[in-house]
Amino acid sequence: MNLHFADYLVIFIYFVFVVAVGFIIKKKITSSNDFLNSNKSIPLWITSLAFISANLGAQEVLGMVASGAKYGIMTVHFYWVGAIFAMVFLGVFMMPFYYGSKARSVPEYLFLRFDEKTRALNALTFAAMTIFSSGISLYALAKLLEVILQWNFDLCIWIAAGIVMAYTLLGGLTSAVYNEVLQFFLIVLGLSPLVIVALQDAGGWETIKTNLEPQMTHAWKYMGEADANPMGIHFMSLIFGLGFVMSFGYWCTDFLVVQRAMIAKNMSAAQRTPIIAAIPKMFMPLIVVLPGVIAIALTKSALDAGDYRIPTDANGGYDYTMTLPSLISHYYPSGLLGVGITALIASFMSGMAGNVTAFNAVFTYDIYQAYFFKNKSDKHYLNVGKLVTLFGILFSIGTAYIAASFNNINDFLQLVFSFVNGPLFATFLLGMFWKRTTGHGAFWGLVAGTLAAAITHGLTIAEGKGGWISPIYPISSGMGQAFIVASFSWIANFFTTIAVSLVTKPKTDEELKGLVYSLTEKVYGTEKRWYLKPAPLGIILLVITILLNIIFF
Amino acid sequence: MSEKLNQLSFIIGVFFILVALVLLIGYATATSLKHAINLYTGLSMMVFGLVMVKLKA
Repeated sequence: MNLHFADYLVIFIYFVFVVAVGFIIKKKITSSNDFLNSNKSIPLWITSLAFISANLGAQEVLGMVASGAKYGIMTVHFYWVGAIFAMVFLGVFMMPFYYGSKARSVPEYLFLRFDEKTRALNALTFAAMTIFSSGISLYALAKLLEVILQWNFDLCIWIAAGIVMAYTLLGGLTSAVYNEVLQFFLIVLGLSPLVIVALQDAGGWETIKTNLEPQMTHAWKYMGEADANPMGIHFMSLIFGLGFVMSFGYWCTDFLVVQRAMIAKNMSAAQRTPIIAAIPKMFMPLIVVLPGVIAIALTKSALDAGDYRIPTDANGGYDYTMTLPSLISHYYPSGLLGVGITALIASFMSGMAGNVTAFNAVFTYDIYQAYFFKNKSDKHYLNVGKLVTLFGILFSIGTAYIAASFNNINDFLQLVFSFVNGPLFATFLLGMFWKRTTGHGAFWGLVAGTLAAAITHGLTIAEGKGGWISPIYPISSGMGQAFIVASFSWIANFFTTIAVSLVTKPKTDEELKGLVYSLTEKVYGTEKRWYLKPAPLGIILLVITILLNIIFF
Repeated sequence: MSEKLNQLSFIIGVFFILVALVLLIGYATATSLKHAINLYTGLSMMVFGLVMVKLKA
């Protein structure tokens, strides 16, 4: 693939704009709260798009297209089962606790609700997870640019990381959030033409359904038996593993996304942030799943006039991760090619900056300030926040090389999430809705959940991964393995937390006011009109989601 | 102008207008860019950019 002047010009304009946003925001950064928390001043439409965009990293875009090609239309489960329900639950039930408790981060909420050690455990595992995710984004971009443009891998990593560092250091969280919104529009507008031309080339959806096995074009129909569908999982595993454990664990407890809602101007906006974000999220499969399904249909079709093929790896198998870049290379001419490449670069930057800004807030507030230097000046914490941003990016560069050993980035990311997020939702669920839950219960529940995740991963094997204790239970896909690992970790956490809580002393009701459901005054919002209230909006979205599942059954 | 630069919708709008101009001018002047998809995408981005510029924060 050769870029022309117009392509380079588009990439250059993008780089200038993202750094310029950092310079514009820099003037407003006068305190650590501005830098790490945006001073809770961001309008609803921006927090909502940033909420979804923080999740729209390279692993989402490249990984979901790869999964679309590998697993077919079943990949929509990550949206219509694994996202919308949890986003609505977060907005309606959980944001009042996060926002109302005045916590600056999710680990800080755990400190208020439970104790110091639970916060420390969550802060440390979250910090590690964000660095892993950031590294994966970086690896994805560098590999992409190396393969399609023959640019030097190491150079790509350092230049790309340098640009993200420039705008996050200049403008902190606000700069990252503003750029995430720009990146969201760029990804959607930059990849939409690809879907249209590729779908036209494939002969439309009806032709695709004819050319592919029926398992690839039905979301639910073949999930009655694990062996009957490409993902290799039973529908109960999907609903519990993805739809409940992983989905709620990610969308409701991951500070990376929750942070975008916590910086809203008021409680009403904070509650509506994930719900408004669920609207574009619902339709994202059109941009990130459909191209993968089209690609595999074109590859398998004997009638493929355009001669498109998914690239193969060294072993002769499909290199699914390269599906989207190969589609862009095949269908986009000069000019639009630059837009497509820039959209991919934007997706990387969105994911990386989101992780780095979440990392620096958690590290500064929940590790540095909590355990090392409690009573320093605000300027001190502002400088520490900037320094942590710098080190976060350097650590990301290191972890980028770890990601290189996995052929499907999304599988890898789901695995990492299942270790950390899988057990976490049990802690929040019990903590917010059962006042008897104790700090000791929460802590040992998290430890047991993470251990259960590791043991389950060690006893199962999928696509050559896992089974490091003994590969006694084979699973046909890495995705299915991740769901099972997450499920066992959640169950272990849930029952351990209950058992330990019952034999340890809980906090008093007075201490738990505003932190648990039964002891918090129910505020039904100041909004008079029904379409501005979280619950009615959420119900409408759930009905549409169920309808989409039925349509693509 | 300074106030407008602080409006995210304005920044996004200007960005897409510039990208649209690259595609449209390229389509009109360069053989390698003379593809209908560049024209349609450029026009779409121009409309989107203008709408965003006009929006009030």
